[in-house]
Amino acid sequence: MLEIYAQAFATVLLPPNLLAMVLGALWGLLAGALPGISTSMGVVLILSFTYTLSPMTAFVLLVGAYLGGITGGGITSILFGIPGEPSSVPTVIEGHALAKQGKAAAAMWTYLLCSIFGGLFSVLFMIVATPLIADFALRFGPAEYFALTILGLSVVSGLSGGSMLKGFLSCFFGLFLATIGTDGITGEERFTFGTVTLLGGVNFVVAMVGLLAVSEIMIEAEEPFKEYKGMVEYRGLLQELPRFSLFRKYWLTMIRSPIIGTIVGALPGAGATIAAFLAYGEAARTAKHEPQKFGKGAIEGLMAAESANNASTGGSMTILLSLGIPGSNTTAMLVAAFMIHGMQPGPLLLSQRPDVIYGIFVAMIVINLLLLVVAGTAIRLFLQLNRLPYSVFSAAILILCVVGAFGINNSVDDMMLMFVFSLIGYFMRKFGVPVAPCILALVLGDLAELSLRRALLLAGGSPLGLVSGPISAVLLLGALVSIVYPLIKKPKMLGAS
Amino acid sequence: MKTKGEVFFFAVCVAFFGFMGVQALALMGEGRAGEIGSALWPLIALAASLGFSVVLLVRAVRSPRRAAAAQAADRDEGDESRRRRQAVALSTACFFVYLWAVSLIGFILATLLFIPAFAFALGERRVKVLVTAPLVLTTVMSAVFLKFLSIPFPKGIGIFAAFSRLFY
Repeated sequence: MLEIYAQAFATVLLPPNLLAMVLGALWGLLAGALPGISTSMGVVLILSFTYTLSPMTAFVLLVGAYLGGITGGGITSILFGIPGEPSSVPTVIEGHALAKQGKAAAAMWTYLLCSIFGGLFSVLFMIVATPLIADFALRFGPAEYFALTILGLSVVSGLSGGSMLKGFLSCFFGLFLATIGTDGITGEERFTFGTVTLLGGVNFVVAMVGLLAVSEIMIEAEEPFKEYKGMVEYRGLLQELPRFSLFRKYWLTMIRSPIIGTIVGALPGAGATIAAFLAYGEAARTAKHEPQKFGKGAIEGLMAAESANNASTGGSMTILLSLGIPGSNTTAMLVAAFMIHGMQPGPLLLSQRPDVIYGIFVAMIVINLLLLVVAGTAIRLFLQLNRLPYSVFSAAILILCVVGAFGINNSVDDMMLMFVFSLIGYFMRKFGVPVAPCILALVLGDLAELSLRRALLLAGGSPLGLVSGPISAVLLLGALVSIVYPLIKKPKMLGAS
Repeated sequence: MKTKGEVFFFAVCVAFFGFMGVQALALMGEGRAGEIGSALWPLIALAASLGFSVVLLVRAVRSPRRAAAAQAADRDEGDESRRRRQAVALSTACFFVYLWAVSLIGFILATLLFIPAFAFALGERRVKVLVTAPLVLTTVMSAVFLKFLSIPFPKGIGIFAAFSRLFY
């Protein structure tokens, strides 16, 4: 076995592959950081360059872009409050709050180190436990998916920021928003009022950008005018790097979050978003050090979300390489790359082309380490943006939001929809209704509804079908505990403002 | 006044969720055995939203002490508070006009005009910033998104479309 890995290392470290990994990681970082370019779009854009490359070089280039994209989303989330992907929402909540407190450099380094740690952890986990993860993921049917989404939604108590009543209102509003558009089972139109724009439903990136980023600018506009966005004193790498004691303090979060990320990442359709929210919610629920800081700049929340977010890449790749099932849009693009090079990912590939499979495992380790260098260099450059005049910085963020909303479908209607969501977000924030539960519910709502309906169909309409399997029963029990426990612990949270 | 505003906000929520609830009822229909139709899930979401909105509305109405405190705080804030609220309204209006203008006069011109207008609305008065920032930012944004990433932003209509075609 060691010989195979030594060979894989030797292949991956060949100059053309090394160059491909650096370029892929750089492109991915850029795509992840730029609103309007999702990670999957970033991978698609370079897919056409891989036709003439050798299979290994092509795969390391694409995997580099994939890992770089997932990591890059954190940059704009922390500095601008713009989540490039739904999985970055917890990063916006905690990371951007830290940046506003003048701790942008510390937040950026913590995010980067946790991302890399999550990525590396998941690859090692993947190497050791691929058969187990694949077997576990195959046990997921509609009832298990429904239970998983409910568990994901149950972290609403951790996202409520004080009043759980308002948190639940926001969550159910998000669930309602997720029902807008064409029904996935009957094909019936729901709440579209005859408009074509809403037929496909509310795109969560449009909603996210409006609810989080634009409304934030509106709220900031109420504060007294300031000449500059914020002063960032970058004191050098050694001074800005988080101390090891920080990771020791939150060791449990650092272990638990990547495990959640890897396992949830392996579930097709679940992926990074549920992983990030679950890990974040778990960190908020079990926080021993400064739990009151959650929602206002808790470093533990940032660490949990980012390590789980990146760890999901290992889970997604596991299920892709071992079973040939793409767990996300981006891994679906990787399937296309395999086909272009005459391969079919799945159980046979491991016996036919072990060099490629082990090469990808090793490449993921190397790319994660490369990202530490590449993104670490980029951090300092990005931090300089905080020295821009505040008014110009705000205008630039709004333009990036417009690009982000327009870029999804190249639709002007999406820009207007984003504006509507920015007004909704502004008033929600103004009256203390948290926006994060709404986004979480909007992202998970569709999967929750479809899974519930499919599970009930399979069970002939009996609700007992939802708890007939051990996995779904445990997950639903976990969700129940997650909702009820904070209420028992702090009953005043229900209505506190 | 935050409490008055809260009462109004949650009253709007009640009206909105009530209206949508009525719309959801129209989706109810007969399904196969074990099948739940299109209406059940939205009805659950809307009923819960309506319930929470009503509770929050009642709580907002029944908090006279907070109302009095909010009123006193508002009186203290005075002109500055009003000025900031105007800044929010003006900057939001600028943003809305920008979104509308992008399809009318194209991305480049709309962005060039939006940046100084928005900065001015926020309270920016430094002439150097108001003049140079739009030029630099529009150039950078156009280079990255129009040229490098080829995002097909609207070009505008008539003469504005002809102008946009010079660049993308």
